[in-house]
Amino acid sequence: MLPFAQVILDGLFTGSTYALMAAGLALILGVVKVVNLSHGAFFSLGAYVAYVLSAKGVSNPAAAVLLACVIAFAFGVFLGKSFINPVRSHPFSVAVGSLGFAILFEQAAQMLWGPHPVSIGSGPPWGELSGVVVRRWGAVSLLASAGILGGLALFLSSRWGLPLKLISEEEEIAGSVGIDVEKIRYLTFGFASATAAAAGALLAPATSITPTMGRVPLILSLIVVIASGMENVLAIFLLAVGLGLLSNISAYLLAPQWSYVSLLTVISLVLLLRPAGLSATDPGRDY
Amino acid sequence: MRRIACFLPVPLLALSALVLFFFAAETSPGPIAPVRIGVLAPLSGPFAAGGSAFTQAVTLAVEQANAEGGVLGRPVELLVADTQGRVESARSEALRLTSREKVFALVGAYLSEETVGVIEVAAASRSVLIVPVAATDEITDHVRRAYDRYRYVFRVGYSIPQWAEMMAEFLGRQGVSRYAFVGTGIRWNRELAGELRRALVPKRIAPVYEAFYSPRNPAFEPVAVAVMAKRPEILVLGDPGGSSAEFVKRVREGGATFPILSVGGTLGDARIAATLPLSAPLYVQAASWKGTSEAATRYAEAFERRYGYMPVGYSDTLPYDAAMLLLSAIRAAGRTDSDAVVKALENGTFPGIAGTYRFDASHQAVWGTPELHGTVIRWEPGGARIVSPASPGGGNPAGAEPRAP
Repeated sequence: MLPFAQVILDGLFTGSTYALMAAGLALILGVVKVVNLSHGAFFSLGAYVAYVLSAKGVSNPAAAVLLACVIAFAFGVFLGKSFINPVRSHPFSVAVGSLGFAILFEQAAQMLWGPHPVSIGSGPPWGELSGVVVRRWGAVSLLASAGILGGLALFLSSRWGLPLKLISEEEEIAGSVGIDVEKIRYLTFGFASATAAAAGALLAPATSITPTMGRVPLILSLIVVIASGMENVLAIFLLAVGLGLLSNISAYLLAPQWSYVSLLTVISLVLLLRPAGLSATDPGRDY
Repeated sequence: MRRIACFLPVPLLALSALVLFFFAAETSPGPIAPVRIGVLAPLSGPFAAGGSAFTQAVTLAVEQANAEGGVLGRPVELLVADTQGRVESARSEALRLTSREKVFALVGAYLSEETVGVIEVAAASRSVLIVPVAATDEITDHVRRAYDRYRYVFRVGYSIPQWAEMMAEFLGRQGVSRYAFVGTGIRWNRELAGELRRALVPKRIAPVYEAFYSPRNPAFEPVAVAVMAKRPEILVLGDPGGSSAEFVKRVREGGATFPILSVGGTLGDARIAATLPLSAPLYVQAASWKGTSEAATRYAEAFERRYGYMPVGYSDTLPYDAAMLLLSAIRAAGRTDSDAVVKALENGTFPGIAGTYRFDASHQAVWGTPELHGTVIRWEPGGARIVSPASPGGGNPAGAEPRAP
């Protein structure tokens, strides 16, 4: 076993899980322009869908991802249309309301599946490369995050993504040229919720599934999106991977408690120097 | 005058009604007042799993007691309060239960931090407080230092030094000389790691790695890699929560073959264990387990019938015993008077699921004796096998297990 090489590879995988969650969050921040604190609940929803299917003998991850995406998209559209869109000009109301939804989901999950953690068999690792274990969930996460973020980048650069870019940059102009801004907002919310649920379904076998499991990924992905800025998909991926590496290396070399401290220290420095995010062209400092 | 005479019957009627009411209340047998017991447990938030099992077990104990006629001929009523795993909530709920709901005694809380807050309320209201699982020494230290004020507080569960001694005994029997300790970075866990280190010195067993992961960003993978790099002969996992299962997955998928000894909790859940790789031994500590005694088997079967899953033998068994022991002490005292019940608890011995309880001068149940000792099980593909103490239906009489390569 090569411990440090293993830590580096695991850091890459950890970072890709941050990116997987951050993708949808960035989309919501960019297009709907709200801080969505219910994103972690959709992650948990995806994990519970995978658990329910597994308990019924369906262990195909593609089935879990598909079903989780459909359910989360429907919920996301409902939430976007009925709550987010009408109050989106009041950022505190959106934050409190979406947090309320997340807590409501946690309570519902507790009533449906109980407060006890549940688990799915994670299966053996994918393989070993010169003494370095390739963890199954890590490889899945890396491929999925690269796929989702890559697909998102391609979509935004195509003509199909033009309305989203226009709403993101100049929503009044978008409205004036006949784009249904409200519809695109709630559809974006639904799609972003579906990506969070897909992440939950994919990572479910690696974790223990609890009603509150979405809280940690929500905070970490929020950190990634705010620090990277939501304009550049590649910046999100690179920052997420960088933070994953930093988190794992500091936990390995110092102590596990240092992983969070080092991560937040770096983020604070980034935000101090570039409040608008790493990818912003203008640093955005007030003075 | 005529006007006064006209109104005279009204107060007379009211007076008659009042007299009749009091007379009737005096003579007719009204409903028997129940013995009210407050339960403090986290039913929401990150510790809800443990709190839920806690409440289920106490409910089962009270249901069984009521089915047998209650206590002193009175039914037992349970009032459950959600502490949310927060010190402030635990304290305010304890205050509500003692002052407004007028409970006679409290069972709880769950976390050490919560319980330290609750003992002040119990002391101020002179309510008996039975602590089932919170392990920090601070709880019994209060009784030792200021007996008159804190004499109402008793702990049924094992203290951290007792816990460490029981673990040390098991590790000694395994014949290991190097161990690693990993757990959640919470107060009792750090205290347990320190006590275990001290308890293992005479046995010449030394730690090669100690780490406490943060619940905010656990960083399981680098911890798992670091543990493996240190090549311990056994890993002690001080995490009773859901993340313990995740950590076991990380360690095993990395190819580690050393045994793991868990402090119990989530890893005692058969449904979780069924999803974990059992390529190397996974031991779980518990207060008792189905098969360790007839009482334990009866309890486990009753719990499974009532709630549809097997108890984990810790966060349910100890609260069950706490409730049963409290009711036995009330019976022994013969009345619901806090001081009388305290005397009964101090002087009596109380049979429970995990063994026979008696309390020392600091009101700590004496664990680690032939009458009251913990259990260690090993998960195998077919289920759990009791490895310590030797199970009646098999197992190694010495409790020793072959060491993993």
